[in-house]
Amino acid sequence: MNEILDFAPSLVLAALGGVLSERAGVVNIGLEGMMRFGAFAAAAGAIYSGSPWFGLLCGAVAGAASAAVHALLSLRFRADQVVSGVALNLVALGLVTYLLQSVFGSAGVSPPSPALPRDRFGHTAMAYTALIVPILFHLWLSRTATGLRVRAVGEHPRAAATLGVRVLSLRAWCVLGSGVLSGLGGATLSVGILGQFDSRMPAGQGFMALAAVVFGKWTPLGAAGAAFFFAAADALQRQLSFSLHAADLRLEGVFLALPYALTLLVLALGIGRTRAPAADGVPYEPEGR
Amino acid sequence: MLDRLFKPARDPLWSALAAVLAALIVSFVAIASSGRDPFAGFGNLASGALAGPGPLGETAIKSAVLILTGLSVAVAFTVGLFNIGAEGQLIWGGLAAAVVGRFDNPLALPLSLAAAAIGGGIWGLIPGLLKVRRGVHEVISTILLNWVAIHLVHGWLVAGPLSAATGSASISVAGTAPIARAAWLPRLIPGSRLDLGFPIALAIAAAVWFLLTRTRRGFEWRAVGAGSEAAYASGIPSGRRVCEAMALSGALAGVAGAFLILGTEHKYPGVFRTGYGFDGIAVALVGGGTAAGTAIAGLFFGAVRAGATRLQLSGIHPSFAELIQGIAVLLVAAPRIFLPLWKRLRSSSEPAASAPPIPTVQP
Repeated sequence: MNEILDFAPSLVLAALGGVLSERAGVVNIGLEGMMRFGAFAAAAGAIYSGSPWFGLLCGAVAGAASAAVHALLSLRFRADQVVSGVALNLVALGLVTYLLQSVFGSAGVSPPSPALPRDRFGHTAMAYTALIVPILFHLWLSRTATGLRVRAVGEHPRAAATLGVRVLSLRAWCVLGSGVLSGLGGATLSVGILGQFDSRMPAGQGFMALAAVVFGKWTPLGAAGAAFFFAAADALQRQLSFSLHAADLRLEGVFLALPYALTLLVLALGIGRTRAPAADGVPYEPEGR
Repeated sequence: MLDRLFKPARDPLWSALAAVLAALIVSFVAIASSGRDPFAGFGNLASGALAGPGPLGETAIKSAVLILTGLSVAVAFTVGLFNIGAEGQLIWGGLAAAVVGRFDNPLALPLSLAAAAIGGGIWGLIPGLLKVRRGVHEVISTILLNWVAIHLVHGWLVAGPLSAATGSASISVAGTAPIARAAWLPRLIPGSRLDLGFPIALAIAAAVWFLLTRTRRGFEWRAVGAGSEAAYASGIPSGRRVCEAMALSGALAGVAGAFLILGTEHKYPGVFRTGYGFDGIAVALVGGGTAAGTAIAGLFFGAVRAGATRLQLSGIHPSFAELIQGIAVLLVAAPRIFLPLWKRLRSSSEPAASAPPIPTVQP
């Protein structure tokens, strides 16, 4: 259980980022890259300021900055949203390794950074954040006027526009918010769990978050639940693998592959099959037909 | 409709060139701003890629792999699918080649390549089937399949049942038993690692070009990619065509994996994280999704990758190659960035020009 609360927050936050962006109609494959920027900026910020909280802030800002690139390309320049997200991931991969090497002189890991304090149950603040934010997000999306507008631009942007909603700017804000959430998710990995940045971060978590969005039917509570489920499956996999001495049998890979294979199986069987927001991934042309 | 399908892809060419040029300028500025000499850096980059048979050979073997993974992504594009799974398909292809290549016989090389194509092809067919039969989005399924392949092959097959090492060998010497000499891709020039893979890759690129632009099947694939309902209404079985293209896409990535195993590694190593599968996305995008463009982009990025190893002489990490690649894709993703520039060029040369066409990345 402790392990789940340690590993789930990064996945939960990134998955919520994915929900925010996609409910507003912008596909966000770039979660992985945004997490990477967030994780690196958080470690660097924490190391230079000495405060892990300042590191978290840096992570959020870096996530938002990389999201701004995605918003600019896909909204202003109407780039294909999937392509723009993939490009962001590629840039994150190269640029962060480059920065890591130029700033800290090593392409592998950063020096140890101050880590977030843990309470007497051994949890960081991020564990509680991961429990509370999905509920707040759910209430915001389903009960407030702004939440309704976000859903409207994701389902039928032209109808929303005729009611006076500024589609592109609202979408841009949602993509930025998505960057903040995934940047925080990445920061959780570096200053929250490990206490340093590792150049392999976020090791596919952004892609798993994407799967959690689909799995959770594009709803905040569903995506957060799916993220907790993945984290639990991962913890279980570790436990099983450990107790069955999988490392000695050289079977670890089978256990590591299980969560991914199961997710695929569930999607293939169409359990909880649902549809994406109607205008997800469709560029909005204000002057169009 | 037919006009649009057969219209040669002119627009992506200039936008791709502009993107590559802009990416080089951005990286030039980046090197300069980090306080290093950009001319020395680019000099090292160029000499690592082009100076003599050794560097040219490195460029060729890297280009061969990138051209194939790029073609893999491009073929999936033609039926309208975005294959992010080239990495997983490459891994299965490489493993199949390493297993079949262990049997020493005169046909070891072609048999290994065929096994790689089949191994990658099956892994590519799965997301095609899932898309057609169960409506699972290929972006999600290929991402998940990548991780399944990585963990199954590296964490189990190569570490366990197929491992050559007995006992507790360290992971760096782990891997499968070496392949037979007959399965090696023969090297063509002394003093260079240039091997038969490069001419094979160019021949495959030509074959894919022919298939996509000069055959009925290629036309049907593009028709499905342009609109599967319209294609279905005109009697083309869309689902079948999608699955065929995805199988070919996987097979191409599988052969790319075989090149790495049969050409340089000569066994399936214990640690084999190439990233070539993801680079294939960049190559295909910058190449505009066409076979010829992909081959050219593959040559360019192969040279950058080969040259990047010498960037270390200037104190720059080789990951800089990925940065150049990423920026090029960012710029190619949004051809409209160049639209104002294009407009200005047009209006200054011919003042009464009509509105310029809006370029689009294909597909």
